[in-house]
Amino acid sequence: MIDARERVTGRVPYTINVEMPGMLHAKLLRSEMAHARLTRVDASRARELPGVVAVLTGEDIVAMGSIQPRFGPVLRDQPILAYGKVRFVGEPVAAVAAVNADIAAEALDLIEVDYEELPAVFDADAALADGAPVIHEEPPHPGPTFADIILHTGAGSNMCNHFKLRRGDIDAGFAEAVHIFEDEFTSPAVQHVPLETHACVASHEGDRIVIHAATQIPYILRSQLAEVFRLPQSSVRVIVPTLGGGYGAKCYPNIEPIATALSMVARRPVRLVLSREEEFVTITKHAVRIRMKTGLRADGTIVARKVEAHFNTGAYADIGPRLIKNGGYGTGGPTDIPNVWIDSYAVYTNLPPAGAFRGYGISQAAWAYETQADMMAERLGMDPLDFRMRNLLETGQRFATGEVVDDCHFKELLTTVADKIGWDASAPTRVIGPDNNGSGRKAVAKGISCIIKGTVTPSTSTANAKLNDDGSLNVLTSSVEMGQGIHTAMATLAAEEMGVPIERVTISQVDTDVTPYDQQTSSSRSAQAMGAAVVGAVREIKEQLVQRGAELLEAAESDVEMVDGKVQVRGAPSKALTPSEVIRGTRAGNLLGRGTFQAHGGLDPETGQGLASVHWHQAAGAAVVEVDLDTGHVKVLRYEAAVYSGRTINDVQAELQTEGNVAFGLGQALFEELLYDNGQLQNGNLGDYMVASMEDMPTELGFNILENPERGEIHGIGETSLPPVMPAIANAIYRATGVRVTDLPVTPEKLLRGMQENAAAAKQAIEAELVA
Amino acid sequence: MLDEHGDEAKVVAGSTALTIMLRNRLIDPSVLVSIGRLPGLADISADDGHLTLGSLATHRDVELNPIARERIPVLANTFHKVANVRVRNVATVGGVVAEADYASDPPAVFLALDAEIEAEGPNGKRSIPASEFFLSFYTTALAQNEIVTAVRVPVPQPGTRAVYEKFVTRSSEDRPCVGVAASMRLSADSDITEDVRVAVGAASETPQRYPDLEKMAVGKSMTEDLARSIAEGYAERIDTLDDMRGSAWYRTEMVKVWVRRALMHALADARAQA
Repeated sequence: MIDARERVTGRVPYTINVEMPGMLHAKLLRSEMAHARLTRVDASRARELPGVVAVLTGEDIVAMGSIQPRFGPVLRDQPILAYGKVRFVGEPVAAVAAVNADIAAEALDLIEVDYEELPAVFDADAALADGAPVIHEEPPHPGPTFADIILHTGAGSNMCNHFKLRRGDIDAGFAEAVHIFEDEFTSPAVQHVPLETHACVASHEGDRIVIHAATQIPYILRSQLAEVFRLPQSSVRVIVPTLGGGYGAKCYPNIEPIATALSMVARRPVRLVLSREEEFVTITKHAVRIRMKTGLRADGTIVARKVEAHFNTGAYADIGPRLIKNGGYGTGGPTDIPNVWIDSYAVYTNLPPAGAFRGYGISQAAWAYETQADMMAERLGMDPLDFRMRNLLETGQRFATGEVVDDCHFKELLTTVADKIGWDASAPTRVIGPDNNGSGRKAVAKGISCIIKGTVTPSTSTANAKLNDDGSLNVLTSSVEMGQGIHTAMATLAAEEMGVPIERVTISQVDTDVTPYDQQTSSSRSAQAMGAAVVGAVREIKEQLVQRGAELLEAAESDVEMVDGKVQVRGAPSKALTPSEVIRGTRAGNLLGRGTFQAHGGLDPETGQGLASVHWHQAAGAAVVEVDLDTGHVKVLRYEAAVYSGRTINDVQAELQTEGNVAFGLGQALFEELLYDNGQLQNGNLGDYMVASMEDMPTELGFNILENPERGEIHGIGETSLPPVMPAIANAIYRATGVRVTDLPVTPEKLLRGMQENAAAAKQAIEAELVA
Repeated sequence: MLDEHGDEAKVVAGSTALTIMLRNRLIDPSVLVSIGRLPGLADISADDGHLTLGSLATHRDVELNPIARERIPVLANTFHKVANVRVRNVATVGGVVAEADYASDPPAVFLALDAEIEAEGPNGKRSIPASEFFLSFYTTALAQNEIVTAVRVPVPQPGTRAVYEKFVTRSSEDRPCVGVAASMRLSADSDITEDVRVAVGAASETPQRYPDLEKMAVGKSMTEDLARSIAEGYAERIDTLDDMRGSAWYRTEMVKVWVRRALMHALADARAQA
């Protein structure tokens, strides 16, 4: 990484390091109720506390009149601070800015809140039941950020959005099927747990907003703040330091409007940094229930699939209405299924909002179809690998959205990892032990999976480049560096295109006053999208070098070319100029280049047919697990991850991204789960909520990053290798234990119970046979 | 100070537990009394058949201390298994016993080894056996104005082998779902068991030990079946609890597994050194 030295010496500036003159510290009072009318929020005593500079309640913001009180990337349904009612435990009700954080915290205790409790709903079934309490009485108000999205919302109900996909003739498909299987799969809400929590320092003084924010979406944040505070976008300046991890948690506006509103009232900069406990109730991964009905021909090829997916989107829409599109079409899986019918729903409940999470709906979809793939193969007596090889997409075949998929490598990825772990369907399980020092019997077995994932489409990235008169290059980009290494990737591509060493390239920090538009750093899109924009910007500079160089060399422009970073007359290496000589010789000062990447596409709102992704991300995984048959405890002995990168920009970073995905997937496969009791989070701290530690990682971890040099197209890898992890591990566990767990996580307790039930059933069967 | 402020005051040393309680607003003391810099309380020493762990010794200190490792290796091993090195570098011996969190590892080992908790307050010093110290969730025999000054652990007789089996159901850095401390001494010239102790932690409000079940093995040769019987006895008697690491049903099952495994592990170690 180009910032490796800064990282290891602790010199990377993060948002929490931002200090501004006169800066105040903010704290938030949060709802104790899951669903309640706010009958009284009295902050008068808090306002009188010495050291308190500003106190805001939701009603205060509404009363100001100058601020739009609600925001949200798709639907403007989330209040800056709750007014009228609260909709989840942990929702911000009041905010205090004080000269220090302790006084701000003390002031919170002086705010009195009276609630009138309302009936609440916590899962999709309850939320959609007849007579369920309605969480949003007013019809949702869509905003302009995602112009392509067409909503099917249910006004007056808890239906936040409905995505539909219809391909072929579903009834004819099932009529053609010889085998039909119907199964249900669930995945729970989990948390991103970025090392750095949400943080911002906002200053809204005079007619400008300047905000330093830990966000993945500087331009969406800018437009949202401009809208909320009714300013031109040019008056909002979003500066984004390096992030301490994002994983989707920082994808949409959240705490930034609160800090900005406080600053507006206090007329001083306001710093707001969430505690870990607050982070846990800020944004989550969607809990999902997927009902999947799949029809197979006699030979095991999939001929029809019908899916009903309920995504629990929590109390506010955030990006839920859009995520269910990906999570919905994603259930089609990497197979050309001629007849597909998908209904995917985002449902409001009284839980913290669910939003973008590494994998973006595809983890939940793949958990369903890759678990069902093994279940179906077993019912047919087929090898799970053969079953997949019969169904995996090949170049030229069509995805569920009807679009032709190009550049397919699914089969190669899957066979690569299957070979690595020595896949052998005929000898699935090896039992070892017990050994003589007290450890019991253990079963070792293998599992595989393969997934397809899209990237946000349509999408736009732009970049500027500035060639200085010493030949060094500044790249101005709004891609956010969050540990994924985007700055290193952009510097690599820019240096390569310019023909200069990477040390001569500097990548800017994000500053919307200076760095040009980028849609967002998410969806594993930046290496491809921003990469193309950066290369385009450098190319524009090279065109200018040729033009100006030709003048200086007194040659025709068509006779001049760039060779090894120099401008030279074709075929005459002695007649060459360095970029520095060109800039100085023409007194250009510097040369400026602009680059734009734009991907087009979109799906028909009634059929889900069209173009879902500018290209497709592909991954496979293979796991070897060891299960303690007395306890159900699982150790992942080996994991082989395979991902198609098209072209790898940096080998080490590609492996590290993949390793991160395995850590995320392993935790979600085996133990990660947010536990709520009547909407109150039970494990909202890092003592009670577990993420995978180094010791939990597979003993042996292999990376298989597949390139296609002929094509050279960059494919994002930030999330791609995550969705295969959970089903690969669970499929291996099934082969070790005979226990099929369809509700994540696959805990030791679920496994032990399943093994005991299986043993009891087997015993009963033998007894019945003896009686007969 | 503790007398002066009564229930409003909390003693703090490493503060790994206290900070979480404060942040989650489980407690709201107005006064924190830091004993972190009291001299002499961080020592680990051995004398007349006892190992004394000063209350301010950190988990990491116990884990790495050469005397502890030599005299009572199971203690060093148990402290090594707690959480991660960041926590172990600050969490103290006094803290882990005074907090009496049911899901801590060391209490079960202290109970199995007949440790005594040394306490001191305005009324002087006293020594409380581990079996009488842990009363219920987060409740100990300490008076409000007493602090733990040390834990004194008898060095087991020569030939004794002890193990601590920590079973986690989530991350390897998690607290135990069940933890079992077992020690065993075989007679010098035969395979007959002279002394057996088993303490089960994290399964119920307080760590549990049943001397009558332990005696089932004394004077006999330990077998897998005998270990299983003892384990079943523990599983029957322990009123297991439900939490996010496992249900009561699962914990009872795990008591059966891990008491048996701990006994067989201790037996294998005892035989190996014989």
